[in-house]
Amino acid sequence: MTTATEQSKVDALVSRAQALYEDVSFESVRRWKGQAECRKAIGFLPIYAPREVIHAAGALPVGILGGGDQLEIVRGDSFFQSYICHLPRSVVEMAVSGRLDTMDGFLFPSICDVIRNLSGMFQMLLAGKYVHYLDLPQNFDSELGGEFYRTELHAIADAVGALTGTRVTDARLHGSIALYNQNRRAIHDLLQLRREQPWLVPTTEYYLLLRAGYLLPVDQHTALIDEYLQAVPHAGRRPLDNIRVLIRGAFCEQPPLALLRTLERAGCYVVDDDFVLGSRFIPGPLDETGDPWTALVEGFTRHSVSTASKYDEANTKGEDLVSLVREVRADGVLLMAPSFCDPALLDQPMLQSALDKAGIPFTSFKYSEDTGQFQVIREQAGTFADAIKLWGKA
Amino acid sequence: MTLTAGIDVGTGAVKVAIMQDDRLLAQYLERIRRRDVMEVVEESFDASLRQSGLRRDQLDYIGTTGEGDQVPWRTGHFYGMTTHARGALYLEPEARGAVDIGALHTRAMRFDANGRVLQYQMTSQCASGSGQFLENIARYLGVSIEEIGSLSLKGDDPEKCSSICAVLAETDVINMVSRGINTPNILRGIHNSMALRVTGLIRAIKVEGLLLMTGGLASDAGLVAAIEEKLKDGAANLTVRSHELSVHAGAIGAALWGAYRHQKLAGRKENHAGA
Repeated sequence: MTTATEQSKVDALVSRAQALYEDVSFESVRRWKGQAECRKAIGFLPIYAPREVIHAAGALPVGILGGGDQLEIVRGDSFFQSYICHLPRSVVEMAVSGRLDTMDGFLFPSICDVIRNLSGMFQMLLAGKYVHYLDLPQNFDSELGGEFYRTELHAIADAVGALTGTRVTDARLHGSIALYNQNRRAIHDLLQLRREQPWLVPTTEYYLLLRAGYLLPVDQHTALIDEYLQAVPHAGRRPLDNIRVLIRGAFCEQPPLALLRTLERAGCYVVDDDFVLGSRFIPGPLDETGDPWTALVEGFTRHSVSTASKYDEANTKGEDLVSLVREVRADGVLLMAPSFCDPALLDQPMLQSALDKAGIPFTSFKYSEDTGQFQVIREQAGTFADAIKLWGKA
Repeated sequence: MTLTAGIDVGTGAVKVAIMQDDRLLAQYLERIRRRDVMEVVEESFDASLRQSGLRRDQLDYIGTTGEGDQVPWRTGHFYGMTTHARGALYLEPEARGAVDIGALHTRAMRFDANGRVLQYQMTSQCASGSGQFLENIARYLGVSIEEIGSLSLKGDDPEKCSSICAVLAETDVINMVSRGINTPNILRGIHNSMALRVTGLIRAIKVEGLLLMTGGLASDAGLVAAIEEKLKDGAANLTVRSHELSVHAGAIGAALWGAYRHQKLAGRKENHAGA
């Protein structure tokens, strides 16, 4: 096989992912539903929703991450004050413009007050549709937060099961966990490859591949990543003299693709990030042998990643970040938060203090999902990369 | 021996420098003139290689700057501020500041004896006080770019014009022409308004000693004179100078930083091998 052949394979896979990314009207979901009678789709907002339960109930879990820079906000702005982030505006715009009509229900996982209020708006805007505010526990004791979460999982299973007519049995849930574990393995392999050879996996391609998982059925998404992983090492890509950076803060409202491209062009290889975090909120495989509900509960309470919307009982977020920087051999950190994102921005002083103490260079800036001008960020990322390359340890 | 190339892709022109350690082997400039930028980069790069008698595969590092982050065969990219500071230091080792006036942006930077940028200021997105603006004015006046500097020096009664907005300044110039103001005085007025903007940036970075003008407009004698004139008030410790290779400062800086990176990375490989 030639380099050109492998590159064209990669291009085709990325084009497929890009088409899904640009599908802000969820036509792909509409097509999927049209292939068989009684198919249902459940939309979920950032960050984490137990997709295994939705899948086991026979529905397609669909990630709703806002309209990015592809959607003009006409009515969404009238629902929120000017000091509220951009994502809920575009989600409301999607709802009132009929783009979310194909969804049969919605999950609003707890992140912040804005998302909580958004769930209330949806109950009023889309009266009659299943809308559930998923109150993720902030207590991680199996007997307390764990039990509470178990009740939430069963409530979702019952509600979605009632829509699809499929009862979530232990056997079905086991099957779904197994499929999502395969997906976790594929995403882990993708992350590892990028960490080891970031020039093989440009951030935009990596991002598009992750995003595709929010629309595709899980087995198709796993296959997409696996095909990419097979082709990309032979696509003839060569390393550039870039620095390695870790990104934190982009776990909810997503950065526009052009921003990711800008960072890479400014000389930064992104070797770790929190984009599309729900797809790897529990990075390792869930237990496939015991009680599947316990596997999901333990996965969330014990093995989920540290992020701003999750209570840090032991107060180790800063230390965890420093350890991760060392583990992934990042030269510096970009604290990149959406404008007006309270969880991300309130976490920043804690993270900055830990990075400062550890002597790890960092810089911070804000974006919104529809940011169109990147000159200032380009300068900031460019000078950051230069400072590390010329005067730092890289 | 380290062989490097620096490619500075500007808005108006592509500049290439080929260096052997700190010796400049070749420099080349090609204006873009509405052509495909990457084609101009390829042509300029090949021409500079021919001048230096080198092949592409002999180069240890190809450093880009400006819009050069689009060049797929680069080794690494450096930000314009970093490369202009290093290029200015190469051309004038005593310089501790530079002001780069290109086709679309103007930026002033203060740096130390190692070329490390300590402070900088740059214009926003308005094209006023930039090369493209001056080119437009030259076109209205029917003079060539090369004539601008010498004509401006002949102006003895410069007209005032807007220093804030290129569109307003262009309107001012059209009015001046219709009022019969002669070309030298129009150009000197334009240079004065540009100098006002540039000296604002220079003062903000608090540079002392020698400041080198870089970028395409460094060769505009009228603009250099206007800047010197404006700096007479309150900047007694500052000398402004231009260099015949000023336009190549970015490319030279990219080549020099490329050599530095090549050595740093090679040193790290040796350390790993020795460990």
